Amino acid sequence: SPCLPSGGTGALAQWVLLELQGEVEPRQSGDLAGSLLGDLHYTCEGVPVLIVGHHILYGKVVQLEKPFAVLVKQGGASQPSPTEPHGHYTVTALIKTKLLFKTRPKPIITHVPKKV
Amino acid sequence: SLIIRGEKDEHAVLCSKDKTYDMKIADTSNMLLFVPGCKTPEELKADQASCNIIHSQIAGFSKNYWELRRCRPKLKKLRKLLMEDPYEGPDSRQDQASTFSKYTTEDLLNLIQASEEEILHQLQVIDACKIEGYWRILDFDYEMKLLNHVTQLIDSESWPLSKVPLCACLEELGSLEPREMIEHILLSYGRKYIDDAGEVFFEMHEDKICRAIAQMLLQNAVKFNLSEFEEVWQQSVPEGMTTRLDQLQGLALVDKSSRPETIFLLKVEDLPEDNQERFNSLFGIREKWTEVDITPYIQDLCAEKQTVGALLTKYARSSMLNGVKVYNSRRPIS
Repeated sequence: SPCLPSGGTGALAQWVLLELQGEVEPRQSGDLAGSLLGDLHYTCEGVPVLIVGHHILYGKVVQLEKPFAVLVKQGGASQPSPTEPHGHYTVTALIKTKLLFKTRPKPIITHVPKKV
Repeated sequence: SLIIRGEKDEHAVLCSKDKTYDMKIADTSNMLLFVPGCKTPEELKADQASCNIIHSQIAGFSKNYWELRRCRPKLKKLRKLLMEDPYEGPDSRQDQASTFSKYTTEDLLNLIQASEEEILHQLQVIDACKIEGYWRILDFDYEMKLLNHVTQLIDSESWPLSKVPLCACLEELGSLEPREMIEHILLSYGRKYIDDAGEVFFEMHEDKICRAIAQMLLQNAVKFNLSEFEEVWQQSVPEGMTTRLDQLQGLALVDKSSRPETIFLLKVEDLPEDNQERFNSLFGIREKWTEVDITPYIQDLCAEKQTVGALLTKYARSSMLNGVKVYNSRRPIS
């Protein structure tokens, strides 16, 4: 894996990856940005539980064999010009852990009306 | 920081300060969301007190990511660019011409798919020098002319090959050639050191000098009678130096099957950079190779922990010929 800047991992933020199957869509036809995804909990055994809308997903914590580095593009135009370097990036964060949710989301039933 | 390098017709590579990586885009059908500061169960357990709700923001998401694999820096282009306009000396009129095919460090960083350190290291390996801000390779004839000045001076002054004084060289030869060039040729063909008195000396590289002289002889014909060549070669090198065929690895090839035996110029740096193309080229030159003969011509292809043996297993097929193991192409040669 790429060698990291010599600031040491103390200098780099540690992020976590959330891996979900399929697509995430906003509830109404709004943007994803600014919307609430859901609530993340951990059970006593350390199992991550994600509640999205009316659904509950169970996942697991996975230590990544190959960590990810998050790159941020530095300055310059969005389209590189012939005279400019072809794409300058800085490593902003490292991701060594992911929360993988691949079981089918279960709908949460909060109220079952009883037959009288 | 990291930088992506490559021209439109090249596969992109990602470079750190000192390493080069092939890039591939990997697609996943899953969504990857990145959450800064999100805590893992272990981290929360350690911090028993916090049972509050932590508001975290998802920084972004993606369905693909870049996969990197460390690769050999693509440095063949470096020599190719510098050979567009080799430096022929200050008297050459060619040098007053445009700076069109001249390259600064910055230019090279933009054009070569390698990290800065790998590029700078390679410039040293190929004995490039900076003249007026541009990286230049010496024209071979000019280089030999400079080398000859130095070896003749060493001979006339009877200096030991391991102790050639810089100052005296600059003084004696300074009227013939630019001082920077004299120092450059000493640096290219010797190891610089400072003695206890603080004076600068060079320990000359016997092997490298013999090798250069061999190249000078071999480039004048398609091939040479081996024993004739060895005689002329030994006579052409400075007093006190001994020629050996192993000095010519990656430069020349001996044909032991011809009667009489012959030798011809074959420079590894003239061969293709891609593994498969390199092997195709070598098997086109000679159908069957021994490991000893082929090694100097494939050594540079070895990846970080790869051996020549591994390369041969992958790209060649072996067989026995007169009790000796030889390698030939996996494909039929047309």
